[in-house]
Amino acid sequence: MSDSRPDIEKNEESVTTQEQPLSNLPQQQPEATNEFSQPVKGVSLSKDAWRRMKKNKMAMFGLVVIIIYAIISLAAPILPIHSYRTQVLQHVHLPPSLTKTAGQLWYEKDLNYMHKLNASKGIEGLTDEQKQKLADIQQHIKNDTMVVNGKTIKTHDRRYLLGTDYLGRDMLARIIYGGQVSIAIGLIGTITSVLIGIVMGAIAGYVGGKTDYMIMRVVDVMYGLPYMLLVIILMAIFGRNIFNLFLALSLVSWLTVARVVRGQLISLKNSEFVEAARSMGASPARIIFRHLVPNSLGIIIVFSTLRVPTFIMNEAFLSFLGLGISAPYASWGSLVGDAVEGMASYWWRLFFPALAMTIFLFAMNFLGDGLRDAFDPHSKNRL
Amino acid sequence: MTRYIIRRFLGLIPTLFIIITISFFIIRVAPGGPFSQEKELPQQVLENIQKKFHMDEPLLVQYGRYMFDVIRGDLGPSFRYQDHDVNFYIFSSLPNSLFLGFVALIIAIILGISVGMLSAVKQNQMADYVSMSIAVIGISIPLFVVGPVLMYFFALKWHILPTSGWITGRNGWKTLLMPAVTLSLPYFAYIARLSRASIIEVLRSDYIRTARAKGLRDNVIMYKHVLKGALLPVVSYLGPAFAQIITGSVVVEQIFRVPGLGRFFVQSAFNRDYTLIMGTVIVYSVILVVMNFLVDIIYSLLDPRVSYK
Repeated sequence: MSDSRPDIEKNEESVTTQEQPLSNLPQQQPEATNEFSQPVKGVSLSKDAWRRMKKNKMAMFGLVVIIIYAIISLAAPILPIHSYRTQVLQHVHLPPSLTKTAGQLWYEKDLNYMHKLNASKGIEGLTDEQKQKLADIQQHIKNDTMVVNGKTIKTHDRRYLLGTDYLGRDMLARIIYGGQVSIAIGLIGTITSVLIGIVMGAIAGYVGGKTDYMIMRVVDVMYGLPYMLLVIILMAIFGRNIFNLFLALSLVSWLTVARVVRGQLISLKNSEFVEAARSMGASPARIIFRHLVPNSLGIIIVFSTLRVPTFIMNEAFLSFLGLGISAPYASWGSLVGDAVEGMASYWWRLFFPALAMTIFLFAMNFLGDGLRDAFDPHSKNRL
Repeated sequence: MTRYIIRRFLGLIPTLFIIITISFFIIRVAPGGPFSQEKELPQQVLENIQKKFHMDEPLLVQYGRYMFDVIRGDLGPSFRYQDHDVNFYIFSSLPNSLFLGFVALIIAIILGISVGMLSAVKQNQMADYVSMSIAVIGISIPLFVVGPVLMYFFALKWHILPTSGWITGRNGWKTLLMPAVTLSLPYFAYIARLSRASIIEVLRSDYIRTARAKGLRDNVIMYKHVLKGALLPVVSYLGPAFAQIITGSVVVEQIFRVPGLGRFFVQSAFNRDYTLIMGTVIVYSVILVVMNFLVDIIYSLLDPRVSYK
């Protein structure tokens, strides 16, 4: 709060309103002010929140990062990257390189390996057999071709900016496509669980009485469940496919939304605007979904933003255990999980997916925190 | 107060009952079973095995039988491992998991509250920004990234600690340190944020102003007045935190090869080892429910505003 004080003088609204002598306008409503006697314009909650949010640098940084991720994920099919599932067996475990082609890296890798092998045996230089093999590799590099999207290209002219994995697949492509999966799971999972939560919470809060008691009992008991363990059981037993994954994750994560929405509805349902709607003959469903839910939308949005990283993390957690998404698809979690085994020799397989994921989660958390501060009702109408 | 505790304690029983029932039926309705392998067993052998484990009876009878056994404290024989029964496997591995979890929780609490206090006192200064950025990083990095990275540097590169395993006795800290730190990181981060927010709120409250006006020293205010009020949200977070630590330890145990319950759990889920899955679920749920219960009790002791009806 304190750092925004200097802005008050610069604020145009306050300047213009002070110039207007109030006595000349007796019929006008008195200007609305907040508790610091700063004049405020009546703006909607979301506009007010957006104005505060724009001042929060970290939140805006998070927003920009997320937009970049979204663009890359959506544009993945038209980006000039390799296919995420093409395996080139000669290109297994190539290190990341900005300048060298796959052929050069392959040659270097084998050359290094031969030198190491000979050094351990105490042989100087290369044997004839090895020289022959290197010549073969050179030959391959010159002649091998492959067909990609109907075009014939030289196999070993491919470049892998972030290296390759244990089947010779491009890490960059796998990270981008894995990101698609991870982000999609985060979004769809959140939306599903928020929808279930809104409906259950709204019914419990609006209807009240026995219905409320029953629903909240169910929520309480489910809160007590060791829920990731339940998800693990569901995934292990019902098989690993994306649908089960969504189902398992959203089935157990609507609880908090339901509680939050219920609390909001209970505090709102006796207010005047609801009474007005009821007196005009609006049905309960209309009152709930047209009047009450939109009024608690701010808190739901905030909650959802903070929920997305949790979903991505949970999916990654399952993929890491080998219970998430299955090959040839990838998610950030499965990429990291696959990479842990060989991390001492092939650091790039662990580092890049972990980095991509961490930056995204970082941005998402900052955005969520920023939104929470911006939607905080205590800061309504503050500058 | 005593009545409140007793009432809360009795409330645990239906919760546990429901958890056990749900898990039992979820596991049973799934296709496949513990004895369906790639190489199919001869019909007679299969029938005999099923008879031995009472799997030929109707599901409800099996359920009743299982519940009865559980109440007596017998979790049944394992369907896969023939050497011992489920009780043996669980109670030989559970202490390791619990120990790891408690150490992680204690690290998280001590570090979290200290960092939270520091940044609350130095609000909007450099120390605050730095520690809160660390906290967000702690929340954003998954456990299974932190674990391997620590292992890479401390074990493979600098050779300070062993990569994985579990030593008991005096050198036990060597194998405990990395898994415990890994496991504690997200909770440390969360507790730091939580305690910062609530300390700031308490610092602005009237009773702290009164304490200042009385001329109390800053230290006294901090430790006697602020912390007591500010730690309530942290205490109520401990229940869920411990639950998540227990789940998180499944991954950490996998990475650092800790012989704990988590590894049995994942393995048994893959194996469809019905009794072992049920056994681990029951043990985890009991821990969870009891932790939540204890947290509620502590909460009501700390906060006189909570009424025990």
